Amino acid sequence: MPTPDSLADEFDMLMRRAGIVIPDERRAATLVSYADLCEQIALLNGRYAYTDEPANVFRLSPRGAR
Amino acid sequence: MDTVDLSIAAMGKALRAGTATSEQLTNAALNRIATIDAGLNAFVLVTRDRALADARRADTELKASIDRGPFHGIPYALKDIYDTGGIRTTCHSKLRLDNVPAADSVVAAKFTDAGGVLLGKLATHEFAIGGPSFDLPFPPARNPWNVEHVTGGSSSGSATAIAARMVRMAMGSDTGGSIRGPAAWCGLAGIKPTYGRVSRRGVFPLSWTLDHCGPLSRSVEDSAITLGILAGYDPADPASADVPVANYLPDLNKGVSGLRIGIPRAFFEGSPVAVPDVLAGIDRTVDQLRAAGATVEDIALPDYALFAAAGRIIMMAEAYAIHAADMRSRLLDYGAITASRFVLGAAITAADYINALRARRELTDAVNEALSRYDTLLTASALCTAPRFDEPVDAMSSAAPMQTIPFNVTGHPAMSVPVGLASNGLPIGVQIVGRPFDEAMVFRVSRAVEVLSGWEKFALPI
Repeated sequence: MPTPDSLADEFDMLMRRAGIVIPDERRAATLVSYADLCEQIALLNGRYAYTDEPANVFRLSPRGAR
Repeated sequence: MDTVDLSIAAMGKALRAGTATSEQLTNAALNRIATIDAGLNAFVLVTRDRALADARRADTELKASIDRGPFHGIPYALKDIYDTGGIRTTCHSKLRLDNVPAADSVVAAKFTDAGGVLLGKLATHEFAIGGPSFDLPFPPARNPWNVEHVTGGSSSGSATAIAARMVRMAMGSDTGGSIRGPAAWCGLAGIKPTYGRVSRRGVFPLSWTLDHCGPLSRSVEDSAITLGILAGYDPADPASADVPVANYLPDLNKGVSGLRIGIPRAFFEGSPVAVPDVLAGIDRTVDQLRAAGATVEDIALPDYALFAAAGRIIMMAEAYAIHAADMRSRLLDYGAITASRFVLGAAITAADYINALRARRELTDAVNEALSRYDTLLTASALCTAPRFDEPVDAMSSAAPMQTIPFNVTGHPAMSVPVGLASNGLPIGVQIVGRPFDEAMVFRVSRAVEVLSGWEKFALPI
């Protein structure tokens, strides 16, 4: 797990790269949300094999059904 | 009975029997808005002249035996992300304060074709995500059950207007629960139809592959009537589904005898944010459904956290694609909550987004498999009652109290229906989930829950 400091450095770098300037007074709250999002991203990392394709169409019927 | 309490069907009957006119219904609604909305903030714009013109036209047509169907002469209102030709559509945002669309959204046009009466445009969380906020051009809508509490979002004004008896039905949109959440917290029915069931053309997007349009209303029947006039294929909406539309009314009161209902209990039981009253409401509903002849069984679905993660990653990535340029150049013109949510999209990689889409496939298959064995699923709409404004919860966090986003991820139709009041006097609801395009079954089970819970006998707060 990244440390809070490394997460903050990473967030600042990503915002700089995107050209977004976060006001100082909003940075702490946004960092909390970023840490939470990173945990959610981690849940899906490594979960799938190369055979697990993303949906290129919405699947709304049971697998194999016509 | 006050005309503002008449169901859509009852209003239609009165109009055709000549015991009421659309102009009378409309004036009653406009008067109620004028009397009570100053403290509730449901409307950002009341279209009084348009409403009266719509109503007089409906009266003239009905008198001439020109009948446009069940919505003819019925007052309604639209969340302010639905384009209305010649009428300002702001998304509750400083960025679109001067936006006057040239044409109606498909939904608005369908209401016009059906003879509906547009009362006005309703408050929303900014761009259907950022709120409740006090740093936007309009104040946040307040919960009529207790004005110190939020309505839930983002279809906040829609829920307030209905729960305060200003209008019987109002349109919302639902990307992670923005119809079902406010419905649950304000004691209303609200359906997110199947993805692709209602055209989104002319509705400002939040996240293209999660966005759904649908009604909030006082009753399940009101929603069924409304969806009946809105559902259908639109070749100009890239996600519209060319699937026949059923008549939602014939089976509405058939009850649940012989139906099978699955409960993904791990979704809500043991959750640290679930309050006992909500869990008791689910258990009570299960008992009532069993007593009415349904088979109700616990089922297993993948971990709720996977649904929530996939939904949030997809939503943030797609929303950022829409707002990236304004995030760079006009960040401070957004409300603080909106901005703090949208900027996170800049941190999502292509691989993260694709993994979320792979999760979507896995999770959709799992829900479809469950629904191959059950007619519907039943779960919580929200794990707690509406919080106070001064005790906000982050609706986007992994600990959010809404249980709605799984079915934005998978596209299944899902409806929140009220089942009673918690000990704090605020409404609680349950969520009914159906097979793709089987809104008729969702309405049928929801209507049974509505009847069994006795909700129709509860008095609204104002």
